[in-house]
Amino acid sequence: MSSQIPSFFSNDIVLHVEGIRKVYPNGVIANDNVTLSVFKGEIHAILGENGAGKTTLVNIIAGCIKPDAGEIYVNGKKVNIDNPRTATKLGIGVVHQHFILIPALTVIENIALSLDSGFKLDLNKVREKILQISSLLNLKIDLNARIEELPVGLRQRVEILRVLCQNANILILDEPTSVLTPIEVEEFFRILRNLKEKGCSIILITHKVKEALSISDRITIMRKGKVIKTLTPKETNEEELTLLIIGEKQNSEFISLTEGNNKNKEILLLVNNLNVKGDRGELSVKNVSFSLYSGEILGIAGVAGNGQKELIEALTGLRKPESGTIIIRGENVINKKPKSLIKKGMAYIPEDRIGRGVILTMSIAENAILKIFEENPFSNKTIMNRNSITDYTQKLMKKFGIIAPNPNIEVRALSGGNIQRLIIARELSYNAKILIAENPTAGLDVRATDFTHRMLLDLRSKGMGILLVSADLDELLKLSDRILVMYNGKIMKEFNRNEYDIYKIARLMLGIEV
Amino acid sequence: MSSLKLLGLYRALFAIILTFLITSIFFIMSNTNPILAYYYIFVGAFGNINLIIETFVRATPILIISLGLAISFRCKVWNIGAEGQLYMGAMLGTITAIVLGESYFTFPIAFIMSLIGGALWASIPAFMKSKLGINEVITTFLMNFISINFIQWLLAFPFKSPETLFPESDRIPNSSILPILIPYTRMHLGIIIAFLLILPLIHFIITKTTFGFKLKAIGENPEAARYAGIDVEKILFLALVISGALAGMAGFIEVAGIQFRMRPTISPGYGYTGIVIALLGQNNPIGIALASIFIAAIINGSSTMSRMLNQPQGIVDFIQGLLIIFVLASDYILKYMSRRGLIKL
Ligand SMILES: Nc1ncnc2c1ncn2[C@@H]1O[C@H](COP(=O)(O)OP(=O)(O)O)[C@@H](O)[C@H]1O
Ligand SMILES: [Mg+2]
Repeated sequence: MSSQIPSFFSNDIVLHVEGIRKVYPNGVIANDNVTLSVFKGEIHAILGENGAGKTTLVNIIAGCIKPDAGEIYVNGKKVNIDNPRTATKLGIGVVHQHFILIPALTVIENIALSLDSGFKLDLNKVREKILQISSLLNLKIDLNARIEELPVGLRQRVEILRVLCQNANILILDEPTSVLTPIEVEEFFRILRNLKEKGCSIILITHKVKEALSISDRITIMRKGKVIKTLTPKETNEEELTLLIIGEKQNSEFISLTEGNNKNKEILLLVNNLNVKGDRGELSVKNVSFSLYSGEILGIAGVAGNGQKELIEALTGLRKPESGTIIIRGENVINKKPKSLIKKGMAYIPEDRIGRGVILTMSIAENAILKIFEENPFSNKTIMNRNSITDYTQKLMKKFGIIAPNPNIEVRALSGGNIQRLIIARELSYNAKILIAENPTAGLDVRATDFTHRMLLDLRSKGMGILLVSADLDELLKLSDRILVMYNGKIMKEFNRNEYDIYKIARLMLGIEV
Repeated sequence: MSSLKLLGLYRALFAIILTFLITSIFFIMSNTNPILAYYYIFVGAFGNINLIIETFVRATPILIISLGLAISFRCKVWNIGAEGQLYMGAMLGTITAIVLGESYFTFPIAFIMSLIGGALWASIPAFMKSKLGINEVITTFLMNFISINFIQWLLAFPFKSPETLFPESDRIPNSSILPILIPYTRMHLGIIIAFLLILPLIHFIITKTTFGFKLKAIGENPEAARYAGIDVEKILFLALVISGALAGMAGFIEVAGIQFRMRPTISPGYGYTGIVIALLGQNNPIGIALASIFIAAIINGSSTMSRMLNQPQGIVDFIQGLLIIFVLASDYILKYMSRRGLIKL
């Protein structure tokens, strides 16, 4: 056994993970030698940027994914958590980032579902148990309400009740506050403190520095899959934590960008007072206004889930905005369908390459012409011309370095980097003037990332206007002429290239006013 | 042959073999030699030229229906309402033919009206699907009962023929009857229309046109299709309406080629059989043509088998049900087997 920690078998440690490592099939090292301990009755915050590996760690402890290396100890005993059931039995309760409640069922039915109640469903017994726990914690909730009728804050309460009913005494909450309003957050913290008093240990995953400071007993910072440090709120402050989260960055990293061609700039895209609702009906984009010029890369910085997705979907015609205007070359294109926006010269590299970017079960050629198959020579609008499609795709594959035996190979046989090349190739296939790139390098290896960056810079120099929406601050600083920081659906501030200040931007991204 | 097509073939063969194996168990349990039973089914379907023609007569309506269903299934619109669309098309075609009487235009106009009848009936669930997002499985299925009962009423009262005692329409005019191509058989022109006109046409639409391309793109990944600028809702609507039109056509060809009157019994569930065939044929027109002949042979052959061996004819439905189950399950089973290294895909 590799344990060298003296207090290892201390009664106070309820959960200890040692040397956890997880490499995803695409090569991303999401957890690298992660070691941390959680004491009985403490609130332990795990703080880190998007992609730091927090959710991966949670999923490993919850038994949802298998680590490549490392050990987990619960109450001093080494355990093998190979599925979520085992975690539950060990008293580990997880509230995932994405809720797993069934909307059409009531609160009580949802909770009953997750309990091992044998063959016969005794709702009365479940009700008694819930009432017992909820009164203990002073949690109010209508047990007969259907989940779909409840606001997000209350749904979360149901999730917490659900894991408590499974007799969890180690509670893991993955980004629980990201869906809550400030008032709900206060109420939520009250519940956490209550739980703590009752002896529960709580792991609170968050990327919000302020929250971690205000609620937790100890804070562990993760960055790029590694644990950087564990400290108590008393011995640190916002400034230091922010630094630890984003890491050391050289300012020289982002001055190499050649000056854009400032002359003959024209406004390609003008967005005014745009309001867009999210999937849950909450306002996700709030009064956003900006303009995108030709020959520039305009970066949008922000932690995922702050309205970027909804903004992009409104711009590309995939989501109906509530109000505002989107003007492309003098015409208001709000409420236009994707097809007319494509015709207007809008290209889009989606983050979700597999779900939205390509059709995995269709060939490279079919994907390559997905946006232009109704044009000459690929078809005469009615009948497809397979030969010219194949010829075209062969040339495209050569030009963009897409490696595959032939154009009729299904896309699912390609690597992530090749799929990204294919998407870029397709998006450049119809002389678009505006390109929206959504986290274009997420999950790509170094080579593919470099290719993508070069491509974007090349397009910029050719006069394209590029909206680069990215959760990767390094990427934004390296590539963009201007950066808008988005937080909670609003544009917080605009930075010109000569004003870039990584800490200011990072703090704004985390919702800390400068 | 590409690996994908090969997989389709495997899937179908796999389902057929498993179905025959399980059906054999039931034959054995009722003291019948399964080999003998399958032999009689085969003889009953292909034993002589007349029987072969009869198998094609049977295959014709189910081929047309399943070709239509292939269009909607390709974009994952699950039209379960071909039965009702068949009745509505057949009825509208019949009424048109009777109203027009003897003329050169009677057949073509009635034929087109049968397409329109099926299409209109399908356009109701199509509208609900594409504009309101209502699941088409339920609407198309339930509308079958509405249409069939409605037509029973039409045939019992307003359109009942005064000449007969049954709830059926007048005989359609001679000029709207499909000519017989081989005397003293039921080899009518509709068989040619189905196999030599509709089959290549649908094959062409699916493989060569932009519409076929859109169907496939939507079926494989609707999110990507929408993002690429394809008007997904419009295509879903069209696909369902086209499959309705073809079901309507199948109904009228049955009237004009075989029955000569509209009856409440013109389809013994062809609309549902079409689903089996589209699934078995993997939405591929060639596969569907083979599957319709196969199923038609089982339907026809089973009556011979049941007479010779004194077995229930219900075995036909049993076989069709098993086929659906095994085609749907085959993906999982084949993948499982290839993971275990039992087969290579
Ligand atoms: N299923 C997956 N397959 C491949 N890569 C993944 C997968 N899930 C997460 N990643 C990658 O692992 C890294 C860590 O992700 P995650 O644990 O979700 O971070 P966090 O929760 O801190 O934002 C990211 O770079 C992410 O892109
Ligand atoms: Mg996460």
